[in-house]
Amino acid sequence: MLLAGWMVYLDAVVTSRFEGRRFEVPSRVYARPLELYDGAAVTAESLKQELELAGYRSGDGSRPGTWQQNGQRFLVGTRGFSFADGIEPRRRLSLNVSGGRVSGLRVLEGESSPIVRLEPAEIGGIYPAHREDRVLVTLDDAPPLFEEALLTTEDRNFYEHFGIAPLSIARAMVANIKAGRVVQGGSTLTQQLAKNLYLTRDQTLVRKANEALMSLLLEWHYEKDDILETYLNEVYLGQAGNRSINGFGLASQFYFRKRFQDLELHESALLVGMVKGPSYYDPRRNPERALQRRNLVIDLLADAGTIDTTQAEKARAKPLDVAERPSWSENRYPAFIDLVKRHLARDYKQEDLQSEGLRIFTTLHPAIQERAERATAQTLDQLDRGSSDTRLEAAMVVTSRDSGEVLALVGGRDAGFAGFNRALDARRPIGSLVKPFVYLTALAQPERYTLITPLRDVGLALEFENGQRWEPRNFDREQRGDVPLHLALSRSWNLPTVRLGLDVGVPAVVETLQDFGVTSSINRYPSMLLGSVTMEPVTVAQAYQGLATSGFNTPLRTIREVTDSKGEALSRYKLEVNQVADPAAVHLVQYAMQEAMREGTGRSAYRSIPESLGLAGKTGTTDDGRDSWFAGFSGDLLAVTWVGRDDNGPTSLTGATGALPLWTRFMAAVPQHSFSPVVPDGVQYHWVNSEKGVLTDEHCENARLIPFIVGSEPQTFEGCGGDFSRRLRGWFEGLFQ
Amino acid sequence: MMKIYRNLAAGLLIVGLTGCASDIYAPPGSADRRAEPVPQPPTVDESRDDSSPRLSEQPEPRTEPRTPQERSPSPGYQEQGDDLSPAAVSLIQRADALMSEGKPEAALSRLERAQRISPRSAQVYFKLAEAYARSNNLGSAEQFTMKGLSLAGSNTRLQKAGWELLASIRHERGNVAGAEQAEQRARAL
Repeated sequence: MLLAGWMVYLDAVVTSRFEGRRFEVPSRVYARPLELYDGAAVTAESLKQELELAGYRSGDGSRPGTWQQNGQRFLVGTRGFSFADGIEPRRRLSLNVSGGRVSGLRVLEGESSPIVRLEPAEIGGIYPAHREDRVLVTLDDAPPLFEEALLTTEDRNFYEHFGIAPLSIARAMVANIKAGRVVQGGSTLTQQLAKNLYLTRDQTLVRKANEALMSLLLEWHYEKDDILETYLNEVYLGQAGNRSINGFGLASQFYFRKRFQDLELHESALLVGMVKGPSYYDPRRNPERALQRRNLVIDLLADAGTIDTTQAEKARAKPLDVAERPSWSENRYPAFIDLVKRHLARDYKQEDLQSEGLRIFTTLHPAIQERAERATAQTLDQLDRGSSDTRLEAAMVVTSRDSGEVLALVGGRDAGFAGFNRALDARRPIGSLVKPFVYLTALAQPERYTLITPLRDVGLALEFENGQRWEPRNFDREQRGDVPLHLALSRSWNLPTVRLGLDVGVPAVVETLQDFGVTSSINRYPSMLLGSVTMEPVTVAQAYQGLATSGFNTPLRTIREVTDSKGEALSRYKLEVNQVADPAAVHLVQYAMQEAMREGTGRSAYRSIPESLGLAGKTGTTDDGRDSWFAGFSGDLLAVTWVGRDDNGPTSLTGATGALPLWTRFMAAVPQHSFSPVVPDGVQYHWVNSEKGVLTDEHCENARLIPFIVGSEPQTFEGCGGDFSRRLRGWFEGLFQ
Repeated sequence: MMKIYRNLAAGLLIVGLTGCASDIYAPPGSADRRAEPVPQPPTVDESRDDSSPRLSEQPEPRTEPRTPQERSPSPGYQEQGDDLSPAAVSLIQRADALMSEGKPEAALSRLERAQRISPRSAQVYFKLAEAYARSNNLGSAEQFTMKGLSLAGSNTRLQKAGWELLASIRHERGNVAGAEQAEQRARAL
């Protein structure tokens, strides 16, 4: 009677745990897949990194999951992948990589196509609280000979017994007594599963009895194949930090950086051998022991006649082939995944993310992320050496200029550390990064302002109702009289900016910022014109996206798609564009931001970047160097960098000496196209003398080719005469003293 | 609605494969780099005197200014957007096939891939506009048309196609005045 009651209880436990465990799978997060086509911006180094991250190995380049380099030529055997929008089949590829781009892409085998997607690298997961992990596999996924190896080694009578196998237990006992130690376990796979699923690990008779009862119940409720499949996904195969490696799917990744499906015989044999003692036979820590155990499994297969002696010898001759580093330890890119999670939280419940096995396809660009991390570490090291500043920190956001996809995110000096995410949470005054928005607000009124409108670079004092005075100054404390508008922006002079901002009105500037996607509150004091407004780096990136794309606000995205565990699309996050400013006015601001790089506050970038790469950008510094900012873009990338201290203390940095070197180091390391904006409708370039505000000849001494909104260009012409040019030279000398 | 597609078909035969690909910057250090002067690693200017209190602005550049005779390169611009790359063309062709099968949603993911490959080409945005128009999302269709127009530059064929597309979409949205305005722009070309 008691036993019957106990059985009913166990039965309930068995069914609920079995069903529950079968389906509790964390979400997997993928990087964007690398797309290969003629002209794709890829270096040999970044291609190899991407291949490695996606679990490829150097090999013959013909078998799936291998690559081979021969000079500029690469051979790649892709594995194929099922994307939400269709299957990318297995292929053999040949391509050349030179000059930062792909050429001569040919499909040697498989469906031909001028564009091929590699499998996306898995960059992390969203795990349940108990931090176990799963890469679910099915019986059909099992590589050839795997099932035979497993059953031969662990449970020869699996398909015959009813959960427990008294004969095996007896046989094991005999063997153990003969050997004088435990050499064989008598547990069936079902018993091992019961043990894994339900029980603690203490060795008692009661536990043994429960295990046996539960095994019987499992067999009674479920088909053999269901049990075997669950076993494949449950069996304990190692430990990575505080996370246990359960299941052959995850173990294949963890030990070989391979998919379960792609395991070769010697690899299958190793994993099967490890079931007996994952830590004792850990191939990374105890390679000798693991090799012996693996060869024993191969011998068992040969003894059973499953493989012939040649096969066995070949397999035994192979090295362990274990990947040096696990394909992941923790999440590799905690700062980026942090933003992914915040975006996901808009549409998904935390429990679903942890247990439904969703597949999340992100926009992370591994090669660019790697360069952003490296640039951050190297620049901070260099800044450390050059000053007595206490520990500087940094943050960085890199997006694709025209799509708003977040390609890389650095949350601090130690990119692998999942701590304070400065890119998302460090809310700081943005200093002069606000200036392009002040000038844009003005330039949107072509009847009042052009790039050559003279602005007063003369001190001013504002007195507020509460009696406080505000007396802005230029950084160098100089005053220059009248300066043309484009110079005031490219040199980042404060006085003309404040006057211009007061002229168009602080509320109008605030409105521009809001149009460009700043949703947090913005103070309306005149000091906001010099950047007393606070933002996080990611917000700055959002606002600059519109400046970089001729006035189209493009919401930042980290996710392209979420699918269920079978690859069925659940949500797509589409590209959106929303025109928030006149492209013509933005074009004029872009001119001055390019000028800032060529001859203004950003020009030190060209000490390490060739002049052929067109860039546009803006520096920002706040009082006492507490924040050093840079925001800028090329044809392909927009990057925002911040350097400062967590305690908001002063530093000896400015935008040009902290954030700009970081930005520059990063940009110099990535293949990309120049920023070269298309002249929008209604804009024309004219040769002008910007000081005199007149049209002039190209060959005249300080002629500049400057864009104007049609109708706002100067109406008078002045060629270059004799002592006229002397006056101009005088002006230049005054400017640069 | 049919009018939209006719306009596109007329104006947007995807051509221009022969156009030159714009130059790409290859970073130093990669063995495959083309011959270019090797730039110096970035340096931090440590020579600055930091004894004076900092105001909230930028330092003046320390280096000597260029004389007007050795002007620094002027800010760059181009008269027209980029041509579509062949890879983008192949994706657009697949998207076209999907659209004609009545699957504009499936077409969108191909078109977004094409957009990532040729983000500075007007055509790809016009195609996105078409897919959105076909899935009856006229707001997005209008935005993508305007984005395409911002890249059409001096290419009158693309300008005309874009303005005509915009006119059809605005018409469909009931914006008669806006449609007429766009039609006028198209006619003036």
